[in-house]
Amino acid sequence: MSTMKTTRDVRGIGISIPRPDGPEKVTGRVQYVADIKPKGLLHAKLLRSPHAHARIVSIDASKARALPGVRAVLTAADIPELKRKAPTRAHAVLAIDRAVFAGQPVAAVAADEPSIAEEALDLIEVRYEVLKAAVDPLESMKPGAPPVADTGTEADTSEALAHSAVAMAKSDDAPAKAVNVSQTAHVKRGEVAKGFAESDVVIENTYRVPMVHQGYLEPHAVLAEWDSTGQLTLWASTQGSFNTRSEVADVLGIEENRIKVIPVECGGGFGGKIRALCEPITALLARATGRPVRYVMTRREELEAGMPAPQVIIRLKTGVKRDGTLMALEAETVLETGAFSGTVLAVAAVFLGSLYRWPAFDIKGSEVLTHKPSVAAYRAPVAPQTIFAIDSQMEQLARALGVDSAEFRARHLSRPGEPMVNNQPWASMGAPEVLQKAAEHPIWRARAEWKASGGNGHGLRGTGLSLGGWLGGLQPTGATVRLNPDGTLAVLTGQVDIAGTNIALAQIAATAYGVDIDKVKITTGDTDVAPVTGLSAGSKTIYTVGVAVMQAAQDARKQTLEIAAGELEAAVHDLEIVDGRVVVRGMPDRGVTLASIGKKGNLYMSKIPPVLGSAHPAFTQQAPAFAAQIARIEVDPDTGEVKLHDFVTVQDVGKAINPLAVEGQMQGGAVQSLGMAMTEALMYDDSGRLTNPSLLDYRKLTAADLPNLETIIVEVPSPAGPFGARGVGEPPIIPAPAAIANAIHDATGCRLTELPLTPERIALALIAR
Amino acid sequence: MAKQILSFTVNDEPVDVLVQPYVTLLDALREDLGLTGPKEGCGTGDCGACTVHLDGKPVASCLMLAMQARGHAVRTIEGLGAIGALHPLQDAFVRLGVPQCGFCIPGVLMAAAAVLAETKHPTEEDIRYGIAGNLCRCTGYTKMIAAISEAAEVVTQGAAR
Repeated sequence: MSTMKTTRDVRGIGISIPRPDGPEKVTGRVQYVADIKPKGLLHAKLLRSPHAHARIVSIDASKARALPGVRAVLTAADIPELKRKAPTRAHAVLAIDRAVFAGQPVAAVAADEPSIAEEALDLIEVRYEVLKAAVDPLESMKPGAPPVADTGTEADTSEALAHSAVAMAKSDDAPAKAVNVSQTAHVKRGEVAKGFAESDVVIENTYRVPMVHQGYLEPHAVLAEWDSTGQLTLWASTQGSFNTRSEVADVLGIEENRIKVIPVECGGGFGGKIRALCEPITALLARATGRPVRYVMTRREELEAGMPAPQVIIRLKTGVKRDGTLMALEAETVLETGAFSGTVLAVAAVFLGSLYRWPAFDIKGSEVLTHKPSVAAYRAPVAPQTIFAIDSQMEQLARALGVDSAEFRARHLSRPGEPMVNNQPWASMGAPEVLQKAAEHPIWRARAEWKASGGNGHGLRGTGLSLGGWLGGLQPTGATVRLNPDGTLAVLTGQVDIAGTNIALAQIAATAYGVDIDKVKITTGDTDVAPVTGLSAGSKTIYTVGVAVMQAAQDARKQTLEIAAGELEAAVHDLEIVDGRVVVRGMPDRGVTLASIGKKGNLYMSKIPPVLGSAHPAFTQQAPAFAAQIARIEVDPDTGEVKLHDFVTVQDVGKAINPLAVEGQMQGGAVQSLGMAMTEALMYDDSGRLTNPSLLDYRKLTAADLPNLETIIVEVPSPAGPFGARGVGEPPIIPAPAAIANAIHDATGCRLTELPLTPERIALALIAR
Repeated sequence: MAKQILSFTVNDEPVDVLVQPYVTLLDALREDLGLTGPKEGCGTGDCGACTVHLDGKPVASCLMLAMQARGHAVRTIEGLGAIGALHPLQDAFVRLGVPQCGFCIPGVLMAAAAVLAETKHPTEEDIRYGIAGNLCRCTGYTKMIAAISEAAEVVTQGAAR
């Protein structure tokens, strides 16, 4: 895509500027859904199944309905829109006659006060017949396991589409009568058995990564109100207002035009706020009461019944020759999706088989239903888990061969144009540059000295490196750019800004049009007014919406120059925009101000049209983005505790539109990755109940757990992104689990294959050593 | 249950408000006084988003009953600084681009303000432990630590002048 030359260096892309809503955020003035309190507000609470799998024998809500202050109590029987075979969690508004995970809503209350709604929940009498639950995914795959979905429920692949995961052949060899295997995939190339037979080193491990929660600080929240004409307004904490509107319209069976979704400030999403969750039931309570109803999940509900990342189990076998030649890879991947289908099965196969050049591979994947909360995306869904497996494996192969592991990775890394497992070619990507930059880092180069300095009163010391990436999401999107009567620009999209993307989009508009950033205002509109805009997910906001904004700004610039050409009696190609004026090149006195052009577009009886640039591109070209991370650690040989001394993230961002915001993404992603590596797991007992439903027991990393995080930005321009930019959000969450496991291996000689890498696991491995 | 009168000081202003005896300080601030700066991230004192000052000390306002604040002085994020007159901490948070989603920020700032009130020249460790009770999922804490360090110097220099 050609980028229009601006006529001078405006203050736009490439500069570090803080987001303009910073003052609102640091003074507590920014409003999230739970902060909005319209007149007549009612508060919703949900009664949830205490059992992972149970038949609902009866529900008696009469006592709850009689409680003063209760305005509505809904059960499945009160909702005619509810259907069996719900394809998604959003469709399963309330359990009909069978609860399929502990925490599934079975009844809903709206009341004057939250405390009254709570009291009402206690008065609802539900009789359950507890059924055997499928809790372990490997058991759940077997014939005869207790069925999770209603017979005939279709697999949900929309999550994979939302993340633009690559298409892959569906497998036709699903085992018979394995009722809980909801999706399968199978890719193979070459002769795997022969490859292993000719290998000198064969390593096989099974890697396990438990379900983890996205951990956004703001729990799910929504406020719903219907007006007298049947219009529903939803104030939602969502990563995509148009997606929320479509899902709610589908569940409620009403036209999208009857729903307005206002994307309220989103207190973190990380993939967990893409799919609708509590919006439909809140809308139904608002309809039943004729009042605005607000529902805010508790943290316990978030942990017990949110939409976490799937558990991922990967059996991985790799073979190489003594000279390091890669020979064969075989993998079986199990993604535990919980009670409803919806994982991105293809991502695992792509990264297992495509990142390095395996001449022969055979990769099978299964999505398995269990009686647990259904899953959703979590920042680079399935990529950290997959890279944990393949990168741990590469490290072990290098060690077995006695070669430098960074060089071993670099030697076998796929290059642009080479085929991925699905036979699509790798697009332009900077993985080799990222890996090289990491391998040159002083901490990596000094790893032998660091290891040698361990012991003698210190712990065991080690260094680990890992490389991972993300293919890059795609979604059609739109944007408009208006010229105001004073010569300033107004950019409109529907894009939800969580991380600070709006300032970067404004920078893109500034540079593409030719004015300074302080002349640009950007607005996120609701679904009634904004151009259709995709999700804030998949590292595609800047990559796709950035292109829409760039093209809309270029369109507005073209219109502006055409108007000026008429006024100045000059050819468009002789004009440039300098300091808020359109001037004839080389003749700075011959010009008109942007303000005069803007004014004439809004003048009574004017014949000059208003400048309105628009663009609504669809995309085909992904921009893979890679990060490498280096961990320098010290392991206490008695307790197994890991102290993190240094942590480095090297990342290819294509072009850093706003380096300040890019660093923030890299640092935040790194800590989520480290949390997955070291502390986080949703833990379930044998009956399928969560045993750690609080933030005391679900352990996220704090400021005191961490060292300073170094960030190194690499820029390998993407051909299609705005000014060469790539997605930034996902790559930094990917490598840390393998980097930490590799560092522990370096320090102790122990290879750990199950996350999180807790002191207990490390200490046990040290004892077994 | 009958509501009770809660008389206390909020952001330097004397306040009398009728509250249910069972509500938390957080709920009284948010629902009865309209001070929605303090956030509920967990309701169990584990995340720090609800941090306010009680007589100058940081507390999790979700863990105490509103009536326990009777006669005491409470400061919320709304009383730390204002648009146009930001506290040095708030100013540094904006300039260094700390806030992403922003939900944890009011609590982090109140915890950081308490660190600065106790220590003139806090070390990185002082700051890290000072905000260890505040979870943030977006930032990785790195820019927060830098901003609090910078603000500490501004506050100390301001006091010396």
